[in-house]
Amino acid sequence: MSSKIEITNLNFYYGNFHALKNISFTIPENQVTAFIGPSGCGKSTLLRLFNRMNDLIEDIHLDGEIKIDGKNIYSRNTDLIQLRKNIGMVFQKPNPFSKTIFENVAYGLKVNGVKDTNEINSQVESALTKAALWDEVKDKLNKSALALSGGQQQRLCIARCLAVRPEIILMDEPASALDPISTAKIEELILELKSKYTIIIVTHNMQQASRISDKTAFFYLGELIEYGSTNQLFTAPKIERTQNYITGRFG
Amino acid sequence: MNKYIIEKIVFWVFRLMTLLVVGILVWILGFIAYHGIQVLSWDFLTKMPEEGMTKGGIFPAIVGTVCLMVGSMIFAFPTGVMSAIYLNEFLGEGKIKSLINLMTDNLAGIPSIVFGLFGMALFVNKLHFGDSIIAGSLTLGLLVLPIIIRTTETALKSIDDTYRHASYALGASKLYTIKNVVLPMAMPNVITGLILGMGRVSGETAPILFTAAAYFLPQLPDSIYDQVMALPYHLYVLATSGTDIETARPMAYGTALVLILFVLFCNLAANFIRSIKN
Amino acid sequence: MRIIDKEILELKNEIAEMFDLVQHQLARSLHAIQYFNQESAKEVMLYEKRINSQELVIDKACEQFVVKFNPVAVDMRFAFATFKINSHLERLGDNAKGIARFVKELDKGFDSNLMERLQLSDMIELGLQMTKLNLDAYLNDDTSTAKLVFELDHKIDIINFNATDIITNYMKENIDEIKPCLSLISTIRKLERVGDLNLNIAEEIVFYVDAKVMKHSKEFKLKNKEK
Repeated sequence: MSSKIEITNLNFYYGNFHALKNISFTIPENQVTAFIGPSGCGKSTLLRLFNRMNDLIEDIHLDGEIKIDGKNIYSRNTDLIQLRKNIGMVFQKPNPFSKTIFENVAYGLKVNGVKDTNEINSQVESALTKAALWDEVKDKLNKSALALSGGQQQRLCIARCLAVRPEIILMDEPASALDPISTAKIEELILELKSKYTIIIVTHNMQQASRISDKTAFFYLGELIEYGSTNQLFTAPKIERTQNYITGRFG
Repeated sequence: MNKYIIEKIVFWVFRLMTLLVVGILVWILGFIAYHGIQVLSWDFLTKMPEEGMTKGGIFPAIVGTVCLMVGSMIFAFPTGVMSAIYLNEFLGEGKIKSLINLMTDNLAGIPSIVFGLFGMALFVNKLHFGDSIIAGSLTLGLLVLPIIIRTTETALKSIDDTYRHASYALGASKLYTIKNVVLPMAMPNVITGLILGMGRVSGETAPILFTAAAYFLPQLPDSIYDQVMALPYHLYVLATSGTDIETARPMAYGTALVLILFVLFCNLAANFIRSIKN
Repeated sequence: MRIIDKEILELKNEIAEMFDLVQHQLARSLHAIQYFNQESAKEVMLYEKRINSQELVIDKACEQFVVKFNPVAVDMRFAFATFKINSHLERLGDNAKGIARFVKELDKGFDSNLMERLQLSDMIELGLQMTKLNLDAYLNDDTSTAKLVFELDHKIDIINFNATDIITNYMKENIDEIKPCLSLISTIRKLERVGDLNLNIAEEIVFYVDAKVMKHSKEFKLKNKEK
């Protein structure tokens, strides 16, 4: 399995707060990697470092390297727009823009300067199809995205990030605001997408992590405590703290 | 049992107070409507005042108020919205932001007559605009600027950061995101602020007293450097210093009714836009 | 204490009761065969039903446990181990019943000399001891105790291995005694099963506590053969 993201001796600070401590591991290509850990353990922070979302915050400091396809994304000549185009992101709450369904999916294409209507049309259709939403919305592409159900909105958000043809998809608790059926659909979709995309998912739901991920990383207080195959980590974790966390014997 | 009775009594007191407030409001509106409706006619709305303002219409005052509303908004709306965007989208939390917020809050608290004096000193005298639409508009614009900034800022703040982040994550720049995601989402609330501001402007007397309003000017303005009549000031004149106050009384009620309808219309429009959004 | 810890304790208590029932069944059936006691044999038949119903109780409790907690890691291993230990215990009970049935079908007891040469009472003793060790190991999450069971099973295997020759020779000399001898062989086979089932239980305990799979492991089998 070739690696997609390589993290080496990563340290990250918000002001004086040492948010991530000496983290090193590699994330494999075309697999689902889950980040688990209690709130404030640094898992979301790390996720946001991959597309440099933390750049928006002032007073941050980063040591070490994050390499995607062998290139350090924190080097000076990184093209931020290109980087973000390459990495899709799905958020905790479904957040479609208050535009039509079509415009939502086309947004990323327009951002990236695609003007050809035919191309936009076909990209939108293909993104919606990949997100398993096409059949449900093909007759109402010009209706407001806000009229969709929560689960459909979240799949629309996935389609929105698929439209710019990323290689990596970051998901920050993508199903935590959804009912069980919508959650199942999202999980199904994640499993389908992983043949073409490298997916990293932050989740508080242990069962979800064990269902959909190939690898799991457990973070605690900014440290990577255990990283390994999901199967192994959820049946026989090597480190006691991991076991205490996943079985709920924490604190 | 005792507790139950006390609770009942207290609720009834609250209920009566509310009814009292609503009752007074209805009474005032009814009173003005009753008296105003007798003079309200097409002629009243479209004719010049005649015979020492005891006859004829209030057309120039309506036109003047509309001019001042539009003029003040041309100045205050873009300035306010842009300031709010800067405050909310670009300026991080910190001392500068709290200082600016403190100042806009204080600006909102300044009595309107002070704005009038300031407008007279700056626009009328220093900049030599004279008593004119432009001087009045600028003064009124200053007055509503805090309202526009506040409502716009609140509208921007209410948009969850994840919408911005989703746009950045797709490779969009900050400016592109503000233009294509943030502003469209905030627009209904921003427009609501605009309309509420217009309502406020239409009713203000003090700021235009020294800067724009004419006592009696039975003609329409030709340029923005002309003086105009305005509804609130006209009402003031009719009620206190007309040639024949008693005869002009019905005209005063008519003017008041028109003015109230203006404000009412603005508020209803604001509510309507807010409801569309939801 | 977490809710799950309480339920784990309750499940352990149910299993302890199952162990208790099974131990008594084994003791009764062994008493029956050692002293040709028909009363004990009848009691075994009677108590068999209680074991079966206790098995169902524990099955249900395991299902509930999994449904309620979606257990992972050590909790998941506990649930699975308990579920399997439960069925091993039930089969221990079956073996006790099987032995008691032989007693009921025979007209007279086995030759006590022969029983001594076969080390039948040692075998019985070993079987009971293993069950007791397993109970302790299970209740205390103690793998070192569970590992003692592996050694005892090895001893039972040796006795079982020698038994065939001894009985064959005995039958050659006492042709009239062939029928009881066949029952005796079957009894010994059942006792060997008692050892095996206890071994399985010990393996489940090791799996649950240490997350090591002992079953079918080559390393373990080799170690056993050396002895």
